Amino acid sequence: MSGRSALSGPALRMGGLVLALILLCVVGIATTGGRFASAGNITTILSLAAVTGVVSIGMTFVITAGGIDLSVGSVLGLATVWASTLSTQYMAEDYGWWVMVVTALAVGLAAGLINGALVAYGKVPAFMATLAMLAAAKGLAELIAGRQTQRVEVDPFLDVFRADLLGLPVIVWIFVVVAAAGWFLLNRTTFGRRTVAVGGNPEAARLAGIKIKRHTLYLYGLTGLTAGIGAVMMLARTTAGSSTTGTLLELDVIAAVVVGGTLLAGGRGTITGTVLGVLIFSTLTNVFILNNIDSSVQAIAKGAIIVGAVLLQQWFAAREKSTST
Amino acid sequence: MVDVDPPGAEQRAQQPLLQMRGIVKEFPGARALDGVDLEVRPGEVHCLLGQNGAGKSTLIKVLAGAHQPTAGEVLLDGEPVTIPDPVAALGLGIATIYQELDVVDGLTVAENIYLGHELARGGVTRRSDAARNTREILKRLGHPEISPHREVGSLPAAGKQIVSLARALSRDARVVVMDEPSAVLDSEEVENLHRIVRELTADGVAVIYISHRLEEIRQLGHRITVIKDGRTVATSLSVADTPTDELIKLMTGRAVEYSFPKRPGVPEDAAPVLEVSDLGLGDVFSDVSLTVRAGEIVGLAGLVGSGRSEILETIYGARRATSGTVRMGGKRLRPGVHAAVAAGMGLCPEERKSQGLLLDEPVYRNITLSSFARLAHGGWLDEGAERAAAREQVEALELRPASVDREARTLSGGNQQKALLARWLVHGCRVLLLDEPTRGVDVGARSEIYNLIRRLADDGAAVIVVSSEIPEVLGLADRVLVISDGRTVHDSPADDIDEHRVLDLVMEGSVS
Amino acid sequence: MTSSTAVRTRRVSGAFIAAACAALVVTGCVSNEPRDEETAAAGPVTTTENDEPGDEVVIGFSAPAADHGWMGAITAAAEAEAEKYEDVELRVAEGTNDVNVQISQIEGFITDEVDAIVLLPFDGAALTEVALEAMEAGIPVINVDREFTSPFAARTTVLGDNYGMGVSAGTYICEQLGDNPDAVVAEIAGIDALPLTTDRSNGFKDALEDCGLDVDARVAADFTVAGGEEATANLLSAEPEIDAIWNHDDDQGIGVLAAIENAGRDEFFLVGGAGSSDMMEEIQSGDSVVQATVIYPSTQAADGVKLARLIAQNKTIGDLASIGVPRTVQLFAPVVTADNVEEYLPIGFDS
Repeated sequence: MSGRSALSGPALRMGGLVLALILLCVVGIATTGGRFASAGNITTILSLAAVTGVVSIGMTFVITAGGIDLSVGSVLGLATVWASTLSTQYMAEDYGWWVMVVTALAVGLAAGLINGALVAYGKVPAFMATLAMLAAAKGLAELIAGRQTQRVEVDPFLDVFRADLLGLPVIVWIFVVVAAAGWFLLNRTTFGRRTVAVGGNPEAARLAGIKIKRHTLYLYGLTGLTAGIGAVMMLARTTAGSSTTGTLLELDVIAAVVVGGTLLAGGRGTITGTVLGVLIFSTLTNVFILNNIDSSVQAIAKGAIIVGAVLLQQWFAAREKSTST
Repeated sequence: MVDVDPPGAEQRAQQPLLQMRGIVKEFPGARALDGVDLEVRPGEVHCLLGQNGAGKSTLIKVLAGAHQPTAGEVLLDGEPVTIPDPVAALGLGIATIYQELDVVDGLTVAENIYLGHELARGGVTRRSDAARNTREILKRLGHPEISPHREVGSLPAAGKQIVSLARALSRDARVVVMDEPSAVLDSEEVENLHRIVRELTADGVAVIYISHRLEEIRQLGHRITVIKDGRTVATSLSVADTPTDELIKLMTGRAVEYSFPKRPGVPEDAAPVLEVSDLGLGDVFSDVSLTVRAGEIVGLAGLVGSGRSEILETIYGARRATSGTVRMGGKRLRPGVHAAVAAGMGLCPEERKSQGLLLDEPVYRNITLSSFARLAHGGWLDEGAERAAAREQVEALELRPASVDREARTLSGGNQQKALLARWLVHGCRVLLLDEPTRGVDVGARSEIYNLIRRLADDGAAVIVVSSEIPEVLGLADRVLVISDGRTVHDSPADDIDEHRVLDLVMEGSVS
Repeated sequence: MTSSTAVRTRRVSGAFIAAACAALVVTGCVSNEPRDEETAAAGPVTTTENDEPGDEVVIGFSAPAADHGWMGAITAAAEAEAEKYEDVELRVAEGTNDVNVQISQIEGFITDEVDAIVLLPFDGAALTEVALEAMEAGIPVINVDREFTSPFAARTTVLGDNYGMGVSAGTYICEQLGDNPDAVVAEIAGIDALPLTTDRSNGFKDALEDCGLDVDARVAADFTVAGGEEATANLLSAEPEIDAIWNHDDDQGIGVLAAIENAGRDEFFLVGGAGSSDMMEEIQSGDSVVQATVIYPSTQAADGVKLARLIAQNKTIGDLASIGVPRTVQLFAPVVTADNVEEYLPIGFDS
């Protein structure tokens, strides 16, 4: 491998994503001018990216470790429902808005740990374990909510999470904090290093003395937790909990993570890439809506971007391999 | 070169069916075959004998069309032929049954047998025809009880071998190559296999049979060709007239002698570091006991499938022992790899790439993977400390190129091995388990690895080395255990046993 | 408003819905408990001599899973309606979004020789064949909301009026903005892949054209709260000044309102769709951006049950000179405003 290509791998990938984002912004400004570039619109884009983004950070870890979590969307929905049941809201009225937050996080974490236990100790393939959780969490959410939408009436909760801080909505700040924490966790801690090892070569990681099963449990727990955080944000944004919230979110999340450059096969993960991936998709949606373009065309564009990104990834991978030998 | 005509061969056709002449196969940096001659007659069982690494596998791959020879010719019925790919080999009637049975577990028996040449009309497979033919072939092989519709994955190893054989027959094979077919079978299954081989030869099919089990060769074979260091050293020996002693003499001795480091000798009073007693793993191995003292290298010799790698992995906790104990420094180890590593044990596995390294990660991350307890603080990485620790080992082990930031993938085999050794050196291992430490390491780098292993021992490590190359075990180890069929058949200082005796033990001792 | 275009055939494509609901691998087996009886049972009460008890009739009822407030109300209302008649036994099959399961439910009804079947198919085309079988077996089928592809598959069809909803919403907005041809009108649709969304949008566009307005911005959500919120947030960002918005679906309306509140916008008025009690309460409060909502009756299946009873008992519908229950009943899509909200509140459904 030459020094040039050592630089070009990850740097080029990131460069490509930034370029795509800039290109989208240019298209946005060119077609809609000031409407795209306005502070309000930028806030809209960031707010839309926030929920998907937070969950994508968790998903980045699972995918880096060679796993997958299909249940994030419906776990998020379940957490919104659980945190907005009448009894939770009464408790929140009595003790404080944090009751709802703790409830949502606990539900997310618990669902994640169940996934993790099934995958790590039950040896259920991640795809199946989390697919089962997707169905079960959705069903449980419907049962609890009686298929109704539960309005959030705890005003202090809404006041806290719908507020602005330094010109940006609180939920955008949550995304920033979670992304930063995720970056440190992946790049600066033994947890992150072990995650890459488990994804890159599980057998080698095991023989190196890493407790793979326990690590896997933690990984899914972490993803569940981010779904719980996402639920709090969603409750604030929609002012309601519903079993339909989060439907198909997992697809957006996985797409953003993979487009960002994390290998679906595991062994390589990038938080920066994931953040860029999420921003690309929310900006794309925004530019299309600003131009009043049919949602079907949007869906086609989204598909094209996913395929393009993965093809590009493979091209980079092939190039790296050919320069390395 | 010895060339003897087998007595009683007159009744067999004298015209050779298959001839290989002066086959040379070069790989980048290595000459795997250096002039191999082989002559096989119709209706005979021709045994191919040779030590590990002698070139048997390469030879049969040439025959199967998987490798192209650099020089030499292959004649079938006296006509020169080229075998550009496996399909061509089958077309010529040459079928190979590999040790790693190449059947598709998810398909049925019939589908496996007709894989690649499905009976079809207009793209629609004729399943009933395939099933009927399959049933006939299986009957001929003495296994009418296997249903053509059974999923192959549900068959035991012997059954899969039958399917492989059936596939060869379905292609009207004239030459069947079998690579250690009896290694995975129990004695009853071996009986059936022998019966099948005899029936095949009775039909005029030639069988090239690779086996390490002398008794089997005596029962089944007609003639023997011995290969050593990529050359034919004896061809067409009569099975009946060649004494075992002579065969082993032909197989032993090396053209290339490796230089091994001097053994300083382990002081009698050195403390035992690793004590393994009565260790067993299901029916893979049992009653393995050994003690390794500080500064001592213990070698395990044995054939592939004898259980030697499994013994290492069980000591390491990567497999859960069904009986026995492992103690380090007198303390019994808890099960699991993590406990072994925490206690100061390290394993360099047989398959470096798939079991040892993170190929896409830089060298230093591979080296520090097991030492976070020392190199990280409360879960936070200290990359500076990691690099420094890695660099120290890279220099000490003369790992080349001397960069800690290169991806492990880009290193040569010998340097990858050094990186794994470095991992355990950074960790500060007291017990090192090395499985085939020089596999895939080129000749020049081997001595370096040997010296390194000895130095580690001299620094106080207890080392166990597993190798299928007997000279390596004998040259490197202070003490040698010979493993055959999951049992220790010999345990003595290395000086008290020679290559000849080891080979004798593993070949005779493993007869089913 | 009841122009012939309104009676167009709607083919709810199973493939589209399957795609849209790919993640809804719902267990779908939570029973549809009859909810607030008063909600569904109340409403404008008309008693006729038809309500006198007649022959005992068994009516089979099948509808998609109640995964959405409106659909939940459909089944609840049908059950409540059946409760009112002591001569009606309603057999409610478990709500399902799997056409295979729904087909087998209808086959079960045929085997049981029920007297009539009320069917709100998940996919009209996919259920046509089994409905034909029922008709051939002499069991009248009352098709609700999503039309079969064959006219012979149903004795009577009860339809909401999707095109009419759009027309009602458009006409209301015209009345409010009619004097301002430059007014900015926005539309928040439901699932774009569904034909009913196209019908609603076409009606809306046609009505606006009548008064010289057009749809300046249009986004599509997915009938969920979260989807409504996301689409609206983008819409509000795209259009700094809006005069009126029509939101197709009150279920997603909660998200729409959350986004509006989030953006701190109130320069426009909002017209809802379907008629949830939430939206009606907003209208009633008088200080909300929600000024009106267009009813898409969640009582259609209840009407289906009523008609099924009449058909099975060989009665005719009141107030018509002709004999027999009509082939097609298309329900009115009225606009609920502050003026008449009291009247409609009882039929509002819980989203």
